[in-house]
Amino acid sequence: MLEPLIAHFESYLPLKESEMQLLEGRVTQRKIKRRQHILQEGFPCKHYSFVVEGCFKMYGVDQKGNQHNIQFAAENDWIADIGSFHSNKSSKLFIEAIEPSLILQIEQQDLYFLYQSIPKLDRIFKVIIENKFVELQNQVLQNISSTAQERYAAFLEQYPKLALRLPNTQIASYLGITPQYLSEIRNERS
Amino acid sequence: MKTKQTIAVIGATGNMGSAISRALSNANYRLLLFAKDQAKLQTLVEEIRKSNVVADIESVDCSVNASWEADIILLAVPYQAEKEIAEKIREVANQKVVVSISNPLNTSFNGMVTEPDTSAAEELQKQLPHSKVVKAFNTTFAADFSTPVIDGKQVDSFIAGNHEEALQTASELVVAAGFYPILAGDLSVSRTLENMALLLIQETIKSNYDWLAGWKVLHH
Amino acid sequence: MYDLFFKKFRERIDLSPEEEIQIKSYLIPKKIRRRQYLLQEGDICKHIAFVEKGALREYSIEGGTEHIILFALEGWTVADLFSFLTGEPAVYTIDALEDSELVLISKSSHEELLQTQPKYETYMRLLITDAYIALQKRLTSSISLPIEERYKNFVETYPDIVQRVPQHMIASYMGLSPETLSRVRKKMLNQK
Repeated sequence: MLEPLIAHFESYLPLKESEMQLLEGRVTQRKIKRRQHILQEGFPCKHYSFVVEGCFKMYGVDQKGNQHNIQFAAENDWIADIGSFHSNKSSKLFIEAIEPSLILQIEQQDLYFLYQSIPKLDRIFKVIIENKFVELQNQVLQNISSTAQERYAAFLEQYPKLALRLPNTQIASYLGITPQYLSEIRNERS
Repeated sequence: MKTKQTIAVIGATGNMGSAISRALSNANYRLLLFAKDQAKLQTLVEEIRKSNVVADIESVDCSVNASWEADIILLAVPYQAEKEIAEKIREVANQKVVVSISNPLNTSFNGMVTEPDTSAAEELQKQLPHSKVVKAFNTTFAADFSTPVIDGKQVDSFIAGNHEEALQTASELVVAAGFYPILAGDLSVSRTLENMALLLIQETIKSNYDWLAGWKVLHH
Repeated sequence: MYDLFFKKFRERIDLSPEEEIQIKSYLIPKKIRRRQYLLQEGDICKHIAFVEKGALREYSIEGGTEHIILFALEGWTVADLFSFLTGEPAVYTIDALEDSELVLISKSSHEELLQTQPKYETYMRLLITDAYIALQKRLTSSISLPIEERYKNFVETYPDIVQRVPQHMIASYMGLSPETLSRVRKKMLNQK
């Protein structure tokens, strides 16, 4: 059950047999249905979730009830409200499956235990978060500086495979535009 | 590189110090000049500004502050003074490139005051263990900086050091000053370079070259 | 020269005096004056900078407009991380808003420390996690909150920045025109 996660870690650094064994019992596998939430606003984010199969969106809801997608995660990617995860404070975000999914989850204490007992994970997670930081920084920059067209182009670059998989409405929400406007942008491009 | 690096020139009013400062003020560097004689230093800064209005150059009244603000520290002082300055700036020179130009000549110009198994640069490196000491500009005379091409040949400037980055930095300085850079080897090669300077000085005195002379490796 | 750097380090991880000396030997103390560049777009980012004293900003320039991605005051770390990690040209420019004192770590020192000092590695993992969390919060609030709420959040989270940084730069950081921000501030003052 842990193979996809081990393969993911080993794409950064090889693990020893003993280190792999430490992962057992610290990681839980879950099947998630389409539209099922793994995080609800108002609750702390209890898990760091690794996507084995399927696809998720993380979003906030504004005062008018509109959803705003801020992140997607498909196979071999992580999704969590990391601030809430580390602080145990309640989250302002939702995480919801867009497709039927299979995930591996790690709780805070277990992650801290693994950091202690497998020093390599320090390095691996440092690199994982660095990469995600760079992506997120690009997204923030797009958000403060770019037109919807440019944001769409950046989205395609960041999530090349997801562009075909995700419903228009979800991408539009991520870009902060209406689905109609997104179709116009797509037509202009093609 | 667009981002300007800051060079502290310690001993900027000396023969070599002022020649180097003048030469580098024309390149993409910010210069912080320090010398004990602040009046003389002021005159030099004004002179350089007059000849090059866009020169990014400033006088500083403290060697430690100048070195703290710098990315590269150039010690344009005689061997004895070099030791004294190094003590003062040790902490702020941590991990920085420190260029040693000195030649540890004795007072009669017929030998070195250092032992044969070391050099001024190696002694400086011992004093500044966490800095990146490079030897450069010790085989070129002050006059060469205004005339880096002598008799149709570009004067060579030899560089020695142990750190890749520092050698690269020193090489850029040499090019900016108009000389041809030769990476001679690790810091122990400074012994040879300092002796080359001694020989050139002796030849210059003997043959009356008027201090416009330099080394050139001829090759095909 | 490194007081705040090690204070922040110790808040997260214990360090023995020997470990502190070892780490210190890799650090570059560097002063920078107001308006000077630490990094210009197009160059390779060769250092991570920790702010001991002063204030810097990191921004991208598009079509002649500056878009501020980060303010770095005392205790913050700033770099074009992508450029630093990959050696690709930087997309961001970093300059000083005040005369500042920095602690720089070069790429080669960073890598040597990661290899030789596990506590440094752990600390770097914590720093990047903090930075990621801050960005995630910023994006969440910029996407889902009205401008007044965003500005209120910003003032509450970074009271020092509001005191020390000109309003037009805060507008740039929030992706607003200076006029919009000024209107929002006026409205908020009137409500008090």
